[in-house]
Amino acid sequence: MSYEYSTKKILTPAKVISISIIICIALTVVIGIALIMGTANVSLKQVFAAFWGTLAPDESAWLIIFKIRLPRIILAGLVGFSLSLGGVIFQAILRNPLADPFILGVSSGSAFGAVLAIFFGLSFNLGVPLMSFAGAVFTIYLVIMIGSRNIGVESSTILLTGVIINAFFTAIIMFFISVSTDARLHTMLYWLYGDLSQSEYSQLLFITPFIIISSIVLFSFAKDLNIITTGEENAAQLGVEVEKIKKLSLLIVSLIMGLVVAFSGLIGFVGLIVPHLGRMAFGSDHRLLIPVASIGGAIFLILADTIARTVISPNELPVGVITAFMGAPFFIILLKKRGSQWTRS
Amino acid sequence: MIRHLKKLILGNIVILIAMALVLVWVSYPLSEVFRDSLGREVELKKVPERIVSLAPNITEILYFLGLNDRVVGVTRFSDYPPEAANKPKVGSYIDLNVEKIIDLSPDLVIGTVSGNEAGVIAMLDQVGIESFITDARDISGVIENIAIVGRLCGIPEKAESLTAGLKSRMARVLEKTISREKPLVLLQINLRPIMTLNRDSFLHDLIRLAGGDNISADNAIRYPTISIEEVINKRPDIIIISSMERGGRFEEARQEWLLWKSIPAVKNNRVHLIDSDLIDRPSPRIVDGLEAMARIIHPEVDWEDVFNEK
Repeated sequence: MSYEYSTKKILTPAKVISISIIICIALTVVIGIALIMGTANVSLKQVFAAFWGTLAPDESAWLIIFKIRLPRIILAGLVGFSLSLGGVIFQAILRNPLADPFILGVSSGSAFGAVLAIFFGLSFNLGVPLMSFAGAVFTIYLVIMIGSRNIGVESSTILLTGVIINAFFTAIIMFFISVSTDARLHTMLYWLYGDLSQSEYSQLLFITPFIIISSIVLFSFAKDLNIITTGEENAAQLGVEVEKIKKLSLLIVSLIMGLVVAFSGLIGFVGLIVPHLGRMAFGSDHRLLIPVASIGGAIFLILADTIARTVISPNELPVGVITAFMGAPFFIILLKKRGSQWTRS
Repeated sequence: MIRHLKKLILGNIVILIAMALVLVWVSYPLSEVFRDSLGREVELKKVPERIVSLAPNITEILYFLGLNDRVVGVTRFSDYPPEAANKPKVGSYIDLNVEKIIDLSPDLVIGTVSGNEAGVIAMLDQVGIESFITDARDISGVIENIAIVGRLCGIPEKAESLTAGLKSRMARVLEKTISREKPLVLLQINLRPIMTLNRDSFLHDLIRLAGGDNISADNAIRYPTISIEEVINKRPDIIIISSMERGGRFEEARQEWLLWKSIPAVKNNRVHLIDSDLIDRPSPRIVDGLEAMARIIHPEVDWEDVFNEK
């Protein structure tokens, strides 16, 4: 299942930076679109005025832009960024195209924490995120403890452990869902399909530094990841500290997932398809793939969330419904057309 | 002669049959055929003595009618009146245990349309247990259901007088609110995500009777999830929060609204809480809910005489 690490194309830092800049421009455009779309009428002119400072802060357009839409867009961006980054890293170190950032059971662990918090009526500002994060950390500990044996962290063991832990927590979640009252049921299901509507700047300020630091660390692994994907033994012979990189990446990605999930609920599919889209478009060199896929993830989730809150306006859908509904057919078309980098040799 | 005798005997037989029929008719006053909300015809051979309730509001109705002793099974969230919780449980109303229901050998099972009971009802039909399904789209419908359940259970007069009491309380509220200006009302029934209701919900009728105008009346979904932007757009004059969660975090939700000064309800300090126990079930307590809501929507009205008469 190893895939070809493309060495044919020469990758220069200038190329990485220029492609990243182009994608960042796309991100800005998407944010602009997301800012003017919504149930309430906000014009592009008002958006510019708001950012220029010429819109009075007590006007409802200003409030809608800065207090509802912008924090939500930023959260969507950060979550999409992290999910996609996590997907790239996990697919590389586990050398498995099906790996997504939730493969180790982090999602079900944190969902378990969140469902428990909702079931017992804890507060949304603190109780639910805290419990969800605790659930994630507990799961990572469990998986790494069970999955790592004397010989080190073995991909297939880790994967299997994740799958089993996932099944176990899913069972507990289903239990709590089946014994809870109607009202809580709705809140739980909404959380399980991803809910970005409850975004606040304080949360964003809290998670942003973690995401920035971990993406820098993970980006510094890019070259080594390129070698690891060609085979672990090969990488070890070439002087790559395979074990250290694997363990560190597993830990960092899982922690970031726990943090992100705590504020967004479970949003599937982004971490699986955006990295593959990135590979199809730009090849598998992680020095380019990591920035491209991460920012691409942000774009994808901002778009999906904009659709989720406007498609049946004035009503809202959970964003997870959109990511899977739009993502799956799009992905299949691309897969048919281009084939995956995993299968092409 | 023989022919004459024959005639006499025949005549007697006819009279006897007629008498027997009258007797049968008198001893089976329940031959009334009821049509339930699923359009099924339900005909009871005798007055039901063992009743299973498939929803909390049905339990409340049965207790309201004083049928406490005939109730042999209730659902898990049947918590009102408190003693109802002591009855055997047949599961929650979205997750019923058919075996348990059959085991209680009821002669009547009463449920609601909104529960997922289609499969359960079909199974009960198969084993020959009578069931009756209610539905209420408005407050009059709730009261009508109480009367029907009373007739089903063989206490039509009692049900009639009890529902007359509810109707007159309803009329007294309506009298006060009908000619008043109708402020725009958001009734928030879930905190996160924000959920409200359209005109198909009995709660819409509650807002209407209490003298308010539901901002989401025309929404396409009965219990829609709406965005905060929608609320800002619709500019409700009053926000009434009724978290269905028992002992919910009312205050937390109220605090969150305070940020949105452009909403008239927030600007004029008219974000209120309502006891969800009173309004979230189409049960006799809905009239208490109506009175509570009318007070919130029209605080300028002098309600003293209405509530003193109670």
